[in-house]
Amino acid sequence: MPKLTLKFDNAILGEVPVGTREVSIGRSPDNAMVIDNPAVSHYHARVFNEEGRMMLEDFGSMNGTFVNGQRVKMVMLNPGDCVTVGKHTIVVSDSRELDGFAASGNGGAAKPAAPKINETVMLDTKERREFLQKVAAVGESVQVAPARVKVATLVVRNGKTDRKEYTLTDKLTVVGKSALATVKLKGWFAPKAAAQINRREDNSYFIGAADKTPSVNGNAIAHPTKLSSGDVIAVAGIEMEFVLRD
Amino acid sequence: MSTTAKAMTPVMIEFGARSDVGRMRENNEDSFRAAPELGLFILSDGMGGLEAGEVASKLTVETVFAHCRDAEASPDLPYEGEQLAGASETSNRLASAIQAANKVVRAAAGFDDADGRAAERDADTVGTATSAPKGMGATVVAVQFFGERVSVAHVGDSRAYRLRGGEFLQLTEDHSLVAQQVREGRMTASEAEASPLKNVLMRALGVDAAVEVEVDEEIAIEGDAYVLCSDGLTRELTDGQIAAVLTEAVNPQNAADRLIELANAAGGGDNITAIVVRVGAKSGGTLGKIGRWITGNGN
Repeated sequence: MPKLTLKFDNAILGEVPVGTREVSIGRSPDNAMVIDNPAVSHYHARVFNEEGRMMLEDFGSMNGTFVNGQRVKMVMLNPGDCVTVGKHTIVVSDSRELDGFAASGNGGAAKPAAPKINETVMLDTKERREFLQKVAAVGESVQVAPARVKVATLVVRNGKTDRKEYTLTDKLTVVGKSALATVKLKGWFAPKAAAQINRREDNSYFIGAADKTPSVNGNAIAHPTKLSSGDVIAVAGIEMEFVLRD
Repeated sequence: MSTTAKAMTPVMIEFGARSDVGRMRENNEDSFRAAPELGLFILSDGMGGLEAGEVASKLTVETVFAHCRDAEASPDLPYEGEQLAGASETSNRLASAIQAANKVVRAAAGFDDADGRAAERDADTVGTATSAPKGMGATVVAVQFFGERVSVAHVGDSRAYRLRGGEFLQLTEDHSLVAQQVREGRMTASEAEASPLKNVLMRALGVDAAVEVEVDEEIAIEGDAYVLCSDGLTRELTDGQIAAVLTEAVNPQNAADRLIELANAAGGGDNITAIVVRVGAKSGGTLGKIGRWITGNGN
C-alpha cells in the first residue's frame, strides 16, 4: 500500500496510507493528514486514487501545493515525489501494490483527468480571487469592474452635424450619414460611416476607422485608439471633443 | 419561418469553415456551427478529460444556435442573465444564448445549479462520484451579422479577428490570466507567451453558475473579412500569416482550408478550427451567396 510520509525539517511526523479513501490535507482537524501551521489552508489539498493512479489536487489554497518544486493544481504522483505544503514536506513512498487499486464503483462517469502540460485550465471564482490576490502587489486593487462610471460625451466644435452634443450610451456609436449613425453628418458627400466609437466592457471608449480614418489630437490613428477626456477627434470635416463627466 | 426585419442581414456574407484534430491530439474538442440564415457563426473549444471537452464544446455551439433560432421565432423568449445597457437586441440575445450554454455545460458537468450550490467534492464519497463535478468547460466566440452591424461575443481565449482595408485586428481580448496581466501592465506580451501559466483562463463556460460574456458591436463594411478561431490556430500562426492567407485566398472556404493546412505544417499541436466570413455587397433582401453549410467537428 502506498503511503505519504509527513516531514518537517527532515523529522518524520507521521505517515498516512493511501487506499481507496482519499487523503485530505490541511490545517483543520478533520483532515486525514493534519498540518497545524499558519502557512497551510484549512482544506489545502488531497491525494486520491483514480484508476490506479495516485493523484494530488490543490484546493486553490492560498500558498499553493508544490511537487518537486513546481506549483501544481492537479497532478499524478510518482513514488519518490516530494510534495511541499507550507513548510512541510510529504514524501510519496514506493509500492508495487499501486496497480491493484483500480477504479471501482464509478461506472462510466467521466472524472477530471490531470491536465497535461499546455492544456487549458479554468479557474473558478474562488480560485480566481485567490490567484489574483497572489499576483497583485500588496495594496493594489485588482478589480476588473470599473470603480465609477463616468458619462461620455462628444461636443462638436466644428462642422455640420444634427446636434451640438451627444451623450454616448451605446456599445457602438457611428459617425456618418447612415441610418445607424448617432452623430449624423450632413452634406452630400458625407460618408455613410466615417468612424465608429466602441464602448468596451470596462467602459473605456475606443475610436476606430470605418470609411475614413479619424485623427485624435492631430494624429491619424493607426488602429482603434482609447479616448481620454479632452481628446479632439477630427473626421470627415468635423471636429469633436471627447469629454468624460461625472 | 420568421420574416421579421432584424432576422434579415442586408449585407451579403460568404463563409467557409474547417475543424481539424491537429497532429498531436487524439480527439477534436473543438466544435463549430454556422447558421447563415441567422448571420450567426459560433465556435467553441472544449476542456476536460476523456470526452468531456468534445461534449462541452458541442453542447455550447448547439445551445447558442438553438437559443438564437428560438428567439427569432419567438421574440418574447426570456433572456438568460442580465441584459447589457446600450447593446442592441441582437447582442443581448447572443449574450443570453451564451448564458444558456453555460448552464447546459454546467448541468452536463454534474453541477446542480437549481440547488444554488455545486455538488461539491466530498471527502468521504470519492469512489461513488455520481454527482461530483466532472471538470468540463469550454470557450466560446460567436459573431452575428444584423443590418450593417455585427455582434461579437466571447468567453475565454478563442478569438475573432477582422481584416479591413489592410488592417488585421484582433476584435476580442483573451480572458486568460496572462492576457489580463499584460493589460494591467504587469507583464509584457513576450513574457506572457513564455509563461507556464499562459493556458490558465479567467473565464470559461461550465465553471461558475453565471458567466460574464464580453460583447462588442462593430459596423460591418463591404470587403471586411472575419476569422473566428480556436487557440490551436494562433499558437502555430502569427497574425501576419493569418492575414496573408485571407488576402490571398480565392474564397472563404479556401482560406479556412489553407489556415488549417498551414497550422498543421507548423506543428498542429492542438485542435485547429477556423471560420472565415467575408462581407460582400448589399443585396436586395435575403442572403445572396451562401457558402457551404457545415456543422459539427468538420469531419
